[in-house]
Amino acid sequence: MKQNEYVKRIFADNLFHIFKVMRIVFILIFWSVSGAFSNTYSQKTVFSFDFKERSIKEIFNAIEERSEFVFLFADDIVQDLEQRVNVRVQASTVEKILDEAFRPTHLTYMVNDRQVLITRKEQQEPRSFREQLQQTKTQIKGRVTNRGKEPLPGATVVLKSNTLKGTVTDANGEFAVFVADPGEILVISFIGMKTQEVKAGQGTTLLQIILEDRVTDLSEVVATGYFNRKKEDFTGSAISISVDELKKVTPGDLFQSIEAFDPSFKIQENNLLGSNPNRLPNINVRGTSSVPSTSTEILRRDNISSNVNMPTFILDGYEVSVEKIYDLDMNRIASITLLKDAAATAIYGSRAANGVLVITTVTPEEGKLRVSYNFDLSLNVTDLSSYKVLNAADKLEYERLAGLYDYDNALSQDQLDEAYYRKKYNVVSGVDTYWLSQPIEDAVGHKHSLYIDGGSETIRYGISFQYQNTPGVMKGSKRDRYGIGADLSYNLDGKFLFKNTLSVSQVKGAESPYGSFSNYVRMNPYYPMTGENGEIIREIDSWTDRSGEGSSINTEVVLNPLFEGTLHSFNESTYLEVIDAFSVEWNMTSELRLRGLVSLNKKVSEADNFLSPLSNTYYFYSSEDLSERGQYDFQSSDEVTVDGNVTMTYSKGFNDHFINIALGANIREYNYDTKLISATGFTNDRFTNIGFAKSYKEDSSPGSSSSTERLFGSFLSLNYSYLNKYLLDLSVRADGSSKFGSDNKVAPFWALGLGWNLHHEEFMKSQELISQFRLKANTGLTGSVSFSPYMSNTLYEYYKDNWYSTGVGAIVNQYGNESLKWQRTRNYDLGVDLGLLKDRIYLSGRYYRKLTEDMLTDITLPPSTGFSSYKENLGDMRNEGFEVNTRINVLKTKDWSVNLTGNFIQNKNELVKISNSLKQLNEEADEAQTGDDYKGVPLVRYNEGQSLNTIYAVRSLGIDPENGKEIYLKKDGSRTYDWDVDDIVPIRDGTPTLEGYFGGSLYYKGFLLNCTFYTRFGGYDYNQTLVDRVENADPRFNVDRRAMEHRWKNPGDVALYKDVADRGTTYVTERFIQKDNVLELNSVYLSYDFSGDLLKKIKLKNLRAAVTMNNVWRTSSVAVERGIDYPFARTFTFSIQTTF
Amino acid sequence: MPVMMKNLISIILFLFLLPSCNEWLDVQPEASVSDEDLFNTEEGFYEALNGVYTRCAQSDLYGGEFTVGLPDVMAQNYTNSVYDYTGYTKTSIFDYTDPTFKSKRDGIWKAAYHAITNCNLILENADVKKDVLSDGMYELIKGEALALRAYLHFDLLRFFAWSYQQGAAQKAIPYVDAYTNKVTPLSTVEEVITRVLADLNEAKTLMADTDPILSASYVVGYTDDEEATEEENANLFLQNRRHRMNYYAVCAELARVNLYKGDHTQALANALEVINSEKFPWTIPSDFLESDVTLKDRIMYNELIFGWYAEAQTTALYNRYSSAITGLYISYDAGRSLYEVGGVGAEDYRFKGWFTQVSNSDGPRYQIQKYMRDDDVNRHDLMAPAIRLSEMYYIAAESVYGTNPAKGWEYFNTARFNRGIGTGLDESSGAVFITEILKEYRKEMYAEGQMFYAYKRLNQNMTSQSNVVYPAGPAIYVIPLPEGEIEFGNR
Repeated sequence: MKQNEYVKRIFADNLFHIFKVMRIVFILIFWSVSGAFSNTYSQKTVFSFDFKERSIKEIFNAIEERSEFVFLFADDIVQDLEQRVNVRVQASTVEKILDEAFRPTHLTYMVNDRQVLITRKEQQEPRSFREQLQQTKTQIKGRVTNRGKEPLPGATVVLKSNTLKGTVTDANGEFAVFVADPGEILVISFIGMKTQEVKAGQGTTLLQIILEDRVTDLSEVVATGYFNRKKEDFTGSAISISVDELKKVTPGDLFQSIEAFDPSFKIQENNLLGSNPNRLPNINVRGTSSVPSTSTEILRRDNISSNVNMPTFILDGYEVSVEKIYDLDMNRIASITLLKDAAATAIYGSRAANGVLVITTVTPEEGKLRVSYNFDLSLNVTDLSSYKVLNAADKLEYERLAGLYDYDNALSQDQLDEAYYRKKYNVVSGVDTYWLSQPIEDAVGHKHSLYIDGGSETIRYGISFQYQNTPGVMKGSKRDRYGIGADLSYNLDGKFLFKNTLSVSQVKGAESPYGSFSNYVRMNPYYPMTGENGEIIREIDSWTDRSGEGSSINTEVVLNPLFEGTLHSFNESTYLEVIDAFSVEWNMTSELRLRGLVSLNKKVSEADNFLSPLSNTYYFYSSEDLSERGQYDFQSSDEVTVDGNVTMTYSKGFNDHFINIALGANIREYNYDTKLISATGFTNDRFTNIGFAKSYKEDSSPGSSSSTERLFGSFLSLNYSYLNKYLLDLSVRADGSSKFGSDNKVAPFWALGLGWNLHHEEFMKSQELISQFRLKANTGLTGSVSFSPYMSNTLYEYYKDNWYSTGVGAIVNQYGNESLKWQRTRNYDLGVDLGLLKDRIYLSGRYYRKLTEDMLTDITLPPSTGFSSYKENLGDMRNEGFEVNTRINVLKTKDWSVNLTGNFIQNKNELVKISNSLKQLNEEADEAQTGDDYKGVPLVRYNEGQSLNTIYAVRSLGIDPENGKEIYLKKDGSRTYDWDVDDIVPIRDGTPTLEGYFGGSLYYKGFLLNCTFYTRFGGYDYNQTLVDRVENADPRFNVDRRAMEHRWKNPGDVALYKDVADRGTTYVTERFIQKDNVLELNSVYLSYDFSGDLLKKIKLKNLRAAVTMNNVWRTSSVAVERGIDYPFARTFTFSIQTTF
Repeated sequence: MPVMMKNLISIILFLFLLPSCNEWLDVQPEASVSDEDLFNTEEGFYEALNGVYTRCAQSDLYGGEFTVGLPDVMAQNYTNSVYDYTGYTKTSIFDYTDPTFKSKRDGIWKAAYHAITNCNLILENADVKKDVLSDGMYELIKGEALALRAYLHFDLLRFFAWSYQQGAAQKAIPYVDAYTNKVTPLSTVEEVITRVLADLNEAKTLMADTDPILSASYVVGYTDDEEATEEENANLFLQNRRHRMNYYAVCAELARVNLYKGDHTQALANALEVINSEKFPWTIPSDFLESDVTLKDRIMYNELIFGWYAEAQTTALYNRYSSAITGLYISYDAGRSLYEVGGVGAEDYRFKGWFTQVSNSDGPRYQIQKYMRDDDVNRHDLMAPAIRLSEMYYIAAESVYGTNPAKGWEYFNTARFNRGIGTGLDESSGAVFITEILKEYRKEMYAEGQMFYAYKRLNQNMTSQSNVVYPAGPAIYVIPLPEGEIEFGNR
């Protein structure tokens, strides 16, 4: 009876101290590791007491309050603890205090790091228990250790048939019990360790029992999405981040936060869309592993929109889209794990090559009803610091210099003078409109998330609510999110765990009706916005000129972009997503576990885009087309995904060996269906419903597209470790995908990893400097199938609207390559983890090499085959790089803590082998380079031996001071004034030498200050602003200041930019390639955790207030205008986090 | 427990082997259909075959460029406007490096081989899935696909390569007879002709018993004619045989190819098989010259042995010949001279029916009426003619002339009488015969793409409308293959 209570006490204690346990969990888990320095904590932690006539219990409480010690004791000695003693010590260790306190008692103790086990001196086992022992026949002896072979004193050993019978291990981890039947099962448990069952046997041998750590701390576990792995014996590359850490960086943007912890998770910069809240990020992990396969389009270097390199996103075990994660409430997340190399991702097979991001959400906790509430208030302020446009007076002067008022046979000199002085009048009378600030506003957004959970050991529940509005800085743009979720779990006798999660979310996004920000940047500051009565002037100005010899006179009307904002045009998109995930866990034995999960995801999206008939777009419509003004595009789509998986895991230790096996299979079907229609002809600005349209858009018909993708895969993952020192990981996966050609329906993938925990070696135990030293290496083959379905089929399409006289016809339009297969990526990864001074300094380095083979590309065919191209696996690309993560704990006391972190990467990319069609794209790029749209833009080209980041341009010697013309270098090295597309050569690789985040945090009594900086250097960038807004700038509109100040004006001027009066086109040239060094203050975070009496008074369990500032400050060696169509913003967030 | 474990392990093992479950992973698209599925039904074969005809009737092939574009421009049929709105000026002076010419030429090549590939898919599947086809359908479908493949290759040969007489051993074009992504090497002119004849002869044999056009109850005529049965078959696929490669079209094509090769016996035999069938009546002049557009025959519809149904090209063809300054036309003088209006052609129906005089700032000129439409009230479908009855008479005349000139003139005169030229010819000079027959080709098949081949076959000099003479020879008669083809070693 008592024995049972004893066991209960240990567990109750465990639960009671749950928060304390969380705090010291590191120690609990590393009871095993702590052997080498097991008592160092107790040696270093000292107390001064002067207790008179105080109970021992009170002394325990006092110690527990001031330190991380936990006292463990059985119920039958509770009485002894009431004994009153005198203790008077000065800077004494806990041992000394206890020696003194226990002198008059029968108690004794055992210290194991932070745990103190209290027992009676004369009686190692309770009396009632001893009586029972005598009735039994066989004595079973055993030894309980951790995986490091260190004894575990105080572990509980009970009989499964009768949990009242049992014992605890002694200081050597040894125990002896009597059993009646050799088939009896012993249940061995220990705090912080997994409970294990062992057959008693005949008692002839000493049982060796190795307990496994019960892993609870996030930083020590790797969630693979199918099962959890202990980080210590994992040979792959993975980064785990807790939600608290994420919130300290960018509370409003999950992806940016992840990038700060691991810069190899790279969000592609998009200078065009800036801080548009509806912009979905384009992400790659460890470089781009494939080229856009379907594209015949010309790619701008600064706007690669194709997302073939996106990592796979796994939410609670099932795959989701990037949009789902983008809209996910950060407060719902428990942890994030980024799997990077083959050993980590191979179990995802054909979805693994670009990395896998595994997200787990919070699950309800046992206990009384608990309410967690988070509130964020954010302020977005436009960052216009990169814009340096001319003011009214300078602009007019620039126009004069550029020769706009020189006679050109279009207008008479009198008319030109009149135009000039009319503007001069505006300037002198003080008109100096700052157009840039017109379409923008400071946006205040707020976010509420509420989570209610609780329940018993058997049934737990959780309900979540979320509301967030995210207004953008461009007036009218926004993204509003609503969400509701319900978690329910049922635990049947600890054998079965049923879980169901239902979540419903609605997102509504809108683009600004004000149009592109660039329209405001170009407006002349001497134009007034409004007329005399405050009305918006629509037609502000007009320019008349004669462009080119013999050509006709052109008049260009300047329309006020603000006018668009007064109309009822809109561009909105919404979606409603419902996800239900149901899982069953069956703990067949303590070693064998079976888990099944099925999820259903349905998403219905709609996009409505209405352009008012009064829009400036229709200003120039001829009178016969007036009825065609106004347009409404409607698109609706429906996506249904079913994802299911079954995983069986088995883990067991045999003496010095430990083995972990996972066997699983998953199945996924994705259906997509979309329909769209376009209508034109709206009567006025008020009727914005599609029903008011006159007709379908001319020459358009309803569109639709649908597709189905299916995937089936099964995997085996095997992990073996010997003495926790030598590690082996082996994974195999076979994937079948509907996207593969019929010759290759099944794809094999694998990974092999080896690791060596040097810090567990005997020779390392004698020193204190190195606390962790791990070497890892792995290799493997992963795949990617980021291409549209049906590419491998020979496809017939119908001439639906063009029947032949003898019936409808079908025609082959795609050569089906039946041998089409997945892209294969060979991964090589070397890593070292080094912890110094008890991990106060932690360094982790990785070197990797990814060789992508069989890139999916178009192969050009001779037209006599009937096709111009087909899909083939051809071409190799290599990504090579290193990653360094460091954490330094500079200072740690009870009140103070200072940490420094740095996470840096370098990734070099090289095209090793490419197909003929990619080479052909270079010719198309040459052609586009001379056209209007891409004249000054360096385009992406493909050449073997070059990187995808290579900048191609014509070599240049700069501006000739004699005449203000640019001197180019031809391929043969000769000089010329004439730009020729054939002289375009690769000039620089844009890749930075080093790129990453660094920062520090400071903790003082509940206050936490955290700063994160971003930097990159050593790379190159093409300064697009200098081309578009200085040299190719149209002087009739506003330009960058440099157009006025730094252009060549007179012979002898040593200028960076060509002749101010030269209105010819500047094409892509080396002159604008600049060193790209950036330093950014990415985030500043300050929080305070309320504690103590105040909390109790307001009956809160915890309360945290925090302020974050994002994108605060930036400096760059390339001065460009940032945020062309949508400006960038600085964000300030105030948040409150509380539980009650 | 052990039993359960065993079961469990076998379940897991089963799961592990499941990815090889191909059927579930074989997903078919909704908006289109894979070849395997299409050819699982007889309707699928219909659709695939109809698809080839629809493909051929597009504007880059017989529905436009290959019928009314390049070949006729090169045959000097059109007058070049100084503004060159249509971009044909450089083609008309045989500048084969001109980008406009190249893009049109590449378009024809690509379209023709696209259609050929579709024929090859039908042929491969017809043999594999013969059992899904009902009685007679296998022969008909395979025969048509073979004939189409031959027809397309022969036209490419006539357009690009040396003529048979001048360069039978020269490399010509690839004869593609399989669905593949591999390069098919070039065959010589001789080889292509041999294979074309082989395909056509096989087609002829296959269709000899199965083509409904052979039945006596199949009566050719305008859509609304009471006696015409062309659109009466319960199966749409078996209607309008003349819009597809019917048995007589195969005979006519055999006549054409044999004449090109110089095999006069075979040419005559095949031409006579068509003529003697009396399936195709001469057009009644009153139908052709009818002023009521609902009763008017614009194309001499009943004489078409084979033509492409080109309703989809209504607008494109209208624009090509519109009276606006941007259309193709023939000048007043050139038009009158071509039809010998001042001589024997004074009453030529063709000139009266196919040309109408319009005027603009450039002066009077003739607008081509062949492809004009009158909304939806026309007496026949819009057709791009492929083979005419008259050509059978010309072939018969040419084939027999060497052995029996009088018989040759007889065929020639029969055709001319039916065009309103009452004066018969019986000159004994072979040169005069050739000159006269070429004149008739030109009048008869103006804007039908055949003239260039006649000149090339007979290796004649060509004379522009401004009387520039382009001497016969490879410089004008051999057209460089598309660069996309040369890159792959086909040169």
